[in-house]
Amino acid sequence: MSKISAPKSNREFIEACVKAGDAVRIKQEVDWENEAGAIVRRACELAAPAPFMEKIKDYPGFSYFGAPLSTYRRMAISLGMDPASSLPEIGKEYLKRTNSEPIAPVLIDKKDAPCKENILMGKDVDLCKLPVPLVHDGDGGRYVGTWHAVVTKHPVRGDVNWGMYRQMMFDSRTMSGAVFPFSDLGKALTEYYLPRGESCPFATAIGLSPLAAMAACAPSPIPEPELVGMLSGEPARLVKCETNDLEVPADAEIIIEGEICPDYKVEEGPFGEYTGYRTSPRDFRVTFRVNCITYRNNATMTISNMGVPQDEGQLLRSFSLGLELEKLLRSQGIPVTGVYMHPRSTHHMMIVGVKPAYAGIAQQIAQLAFGSKLGPWFHMVMVVDDQTDIFNWDEVYHAFCTRCHPANGIHIYKNTTGTPLYPYATPHERKYSIGSKVLFDCLWPVDWDKTNDVPTVVSFKNVYPKDIQEKVLSNWTAYGYPEVK
Amino acid sequence: MNKWEVFVMDMSELAEGEDIELSIRTLNPGLHKYTYKRVKCQVSAKPDAFPDSLQVRMGRGQLSASQYSIKVLAEVQRLPEKYR
Ligand SMILES: Cc1cc2nc3c(=O)[nH]c(=O)nc-3n(C[C@H](O)[C@H](O)[C@H](O)COP(=O)(O)O)c2cc1C
Repeated sequence: MSKISAPKSNREFIEACVKAGDAVRIKQEVDWENEAGAIVRRACELAAPAPFMEKIKDYPGFSYFGAPLSTYRRMAISLGMDPASSLPEIGKEYLKRTNSEPIAPVLIDKKDAPCKENILMGKDVDLCKLPVPLVHDGDGGRYVGTWHAVVTKHPVRGDVNWGMYRQMMFDSRTMSGAVFPFSDLGKALTEYYLPRGESCPFATAIGLSPLAAMAACAPSPIPEPELVGMLSGEPARLVKCETNDLEVPADAEIIIEGEICPDYKVEEGPFGEYTGYRTSPRDFRVTFRVNCITYRNNATMTISNMGVPQDEGQLLRSFSLGLELEKLLRSQGIPVTGVYMHPRSTHHMMIVGVKPAYAGIAQQIAQLAFGSKLGPWFHMVMVVDDQTDIFNWDEVYHAFCTRCHPANGIHIYKNTTGTPLYPYATPHERKYSIGSKVLFDCLWPVDWDKTNDVPTVVSFKNVYPKDIQEKVLSNWTAYGYPEVK
Repeated sequence: MNKWEVFVMDMSELAEGEDIELSIRTLNPGLHKYTYKRVKCQVSAKPDAFPDSLQVRMGRGQLSASQYSIKVLAEVQRLPEKYR
């Protein structure tokens, strides 16, 4: 693999974004209560440069970096690629790197770890000493974790998990979070800690390198510390926690250490979500008790502001969910041309291009997709043939509206795994995370006669002889039309 | 006078004339704004019945037009001793 030069920390990333014109330095004071959130939201909705807010009301010495990966340009920068790279190019690079050899992390000494520059223990621990923002007016609380990793370790298997699960500040030493039962941490809690009544050590790392954050929200089976290594082409630098055995990214801006309580729950939410709504009900959720806070000098808190498209919730998650499904389908030998989730679908619709090699291939794809670990996060699969450009919504929409048989091509799956976040779900379904799914099969049936039954696509490309096409193309401006770019 | 806020799914959760338990968050200015306490309290739909005010939000964060007042009787400690 050629040498990758990706930003190794949140600070290097901000520098690279500023240099490319993809971040702005905001010098004037910004309020942690709504104002910072509103700036990030507007930047997301305009696909504007990321705001780096250098002065925060009440919190001298701290700064905010918002909307870190809410454009494909910033995603390219995070991977060390040309910011102008196209989405298919970025996707190809992600697949190449995540199919390479795992790169194990290295453990460094505490004295070399920037995240240990300030350490708060015992009576000094108070989350309110951090500039925890009120991201949206009307949220259930100030959110500590919106762009971060919750680090845990499976007590028996020893697997390390970094997951991006939102965390709300309940009081100075307590956070509550949306850790769903089908997530890696959710499974470790329900299968081990809760039945035994044991508390689960955790560490929340905020202000990570963009690729560490990307790994924390990628639905990949590869343990995240190795995945970061693969994405960045070099080992992730980790350091031991102060109060438990976990290892955290040494270059993170802020680390919050503590334990998840098996026998104590406080309310979480409501919160603005990636679907573009505040949907999931306020509920008693997984509760984190804080024992220690460490942070860098002049620490930067990162903020992802979920709402209508487009923010990291849609853009990055659509990207990694689609590519992880592509890997899964290829691993089963299915001749897919690609998988794409349009960010505007708020990662609810998988568009799969496939060579219609045999009967039932669309159903096979849907069953694998919905039945996989990725399944709870989307409820629509649309399968189109290998002639349709999956990245071109006009083509996909045309295929959907013309080839999907209303009685034979739409397949509904009931009582699947859902999440409380689906806006269309009934209140009962939200409460119990009950889902339902739909497949839109836009393939011509294999038992139709290819010559007589399958309609011919009537397009310039498809119905005219090559020589006529060339003649028309070369005479286009001579006919009086402007040149087509 | 302190300013508090509560989230409810239904206004009936704010029963008047009896001791009830609520999670309320402070709206007093300062670093601790929006942090919660679990309390035993009495509430009233009359804004001036008790010295502290209580602003009400519904399940999805919508601000209610009704301004309540609240008397905090005691803090309820639910956190097990071992975590304190
Ligand atoms: C900004 C952002 C916030 C997220 N918040 C949550 C969350 O609160 N709960 C959750 O289960 N997943 C959340 N996700 C998705 C997870 O990060 C994702 O599913 C990840 O793979 C961790 O899940 P795992 O434990 O199943 O691997 C979020 C993703 C992003 C980009």
